[in-house]
Amino acid sequence: MMKTYKIVVLGDFGVGKTSLIRRYVLDEFSDQYRATMGVHLYKHTDRIATEGGQSEIRLVVWDIEGAPLPSGQTQRYVVGASAALVVGDLTRADPYSAMWSAADMFEEQLPGRPMAFALNKRDLSDAPSPDVVKRMERRYDGPVFETSAMNGEGVLHAFHSLGKSILARNL
Amino acid sequence: MSDFSPGGINPEIVLTAMRAVAIRVSEDLTVREVSGDAFDVQIETDVREAIPALYGMEDVLRDGPPISIPFVQLNDDTTPPVTVSSARDKLTGALWLVLRDVSEESEVQRQLVQNHNALALAEAELRAARDAALAADRTKTSFLANVSHELRTPLHVIIGGASILSKPRSTALDPDEVVGYASDMHESGVLLLQLVDDLIDLSRSETGDLTLYEEWCDLNEIVDKMVGLGRELPDAAGVILEAKHIMKAPRVFADGRRIKQILLNLISNAIKAVAQRSDGEVRVSVDRHDDGSACLIVQDNGPGMSEEDLAIAREPFGQPRAAVRSKGAGLGLAIVDRLAKLHGGALIITTEPGQGLRAFVHFDATRFGDKI
Repeated sequence: MMKTYKIVVLGDFGVGKTSLIRRYVLDEFSDQYRATMGVHLYKHTDRIATEGGQSEIRLVVWDIEGAPLPSGQTQRYVVGASAALVVGDLTRADPYSAMWSAADMFEEQLPGRPMAFALNKRDLSDAPSPDVVKRMERRYDGPVFETSAMNGEGVLHAFHSLGKSILARNL
Repeated sequence: MSDFSPGGINPEIVLTAMRAVAIRVSEDLTVREVSGDAFDVQIETDVREAIPALYGMEDVLRDGPPISIPFVQLNDDTTPPVTVSSARDKLTGALWLVLRDVSEESEVQRQLVQNHNALALAEAELRAARDAALAADRTKTSFLANVSHELRTPLHVIIGGASILSKPRSTALDPDEVVGYASDMHESGVLLLQLVDDLIDLSRSETGDLTLYEEWCDLNEIVDKMVGLGRELPDAAGVILEAKHIMKAPRVFADGRRIKQILLNLISNAIKAVAQRSDGEVRVSVDRHDDGSACLIVQDNGPGMSEEDLAIAREPFGQPRAAVRSKGAGLGLAIVDRLAKLHGGALIITTEPGQGLRAFVHFDATRFGDKI
């Protein structure tokens, strides 16, 4: 049976984690905010371009209740994850602190597992500072994507980059 | 390890009352026994297919401590939210999973979370609006202080010079001294006029009253003219200032006077940046892209600046900390930025300390009359 990989999506509440996942899995978007309680699971099979050609990958994407700081419950949710997408909201005065808290927690729980970063709501805001983006990429060795769940910008790239890392490392 | 030992209580009754099932699984995670019928879990199937939250947790289930995953909801309309927990039977060592329906408490808690988050988001928005208002107020105050300062300096020169020249004993001044005073007053007057013009442009661009008079313009011709004017700037002596043409000069639909203003501002900044160097170079070019858009580029080999200094330099009256204070008021880049945006374009600057500076003014393909 084909292996199924667990990807967790982390970040503060209201940054658009659910919207990004629903854009990726279901290709839909709603601008009505509905808080996620606990965790929602999305099963998804995708095809990803790898060095050896197209590869199929089965994923369970964990849409985890958002918080500015990861709680003990969040730590329990990430157990066994193959990778994490850490999401921030570019329209906020400080989109990054909650992202760094989530990324630090994930790195501490599962050292060396791939991470990618989604700077979301790009359709509503200016581009992020290149300086911060560079710092984030260097600190966590993970790519940073500007995303918009509303128009789909960067969403596939973000998830596919994680899929590629998972397959390349055979996690 | 926690226990799963129902003892004397009939587990089926307990499980039914709780809307729960207990599932015994083998080490390969195949379902071997199901107690309770609250969920459709089939014997001999992979338990991870029934409970996808267990994917990735295989090692923990087999060898780790008991797990408890609260409030798990599968994205379908049929499965209620559940809490999943594991336990080892003390007597047999068998691995059991308990799946409990938490629909009711989940919805109550979700409403609480929703209200809390909505309130926190509204608070954050209010805070941001208040901070923006305070920042705008500080900017306005700082802007007025800067304007006053920039106006006072040349005015002092004019008033001082006029005061000396208007006194009866000024006739005793050496003719060279008279010319010197008059020249300083003229230069200060020109500076004042430039400053007032810049302030009017800035103000009109902020209020949306700056109107473009657009026509078809030849970019190579504009580049040539502005490079010629740049060579006459006071700091240009000794600076290599060159224009690089592209073979097929694109005609651009734009306000020619404003494009000239953009270029002269950038050339003037670049010349000031390299004026202290013995090998100062400024290169002006037009670059055409495959998508039909084009860039005006002004590049210098001056000291460059950090990201932080660049952000300051782009603000009105911004004087980068690391830079030698220039003769200008610090309005040039702010005006170029606004004029580029008015044309639907953008001012992009790439620079690093010690690496010079490249300013790109980008115009999209719709402004050009030809096709690539």
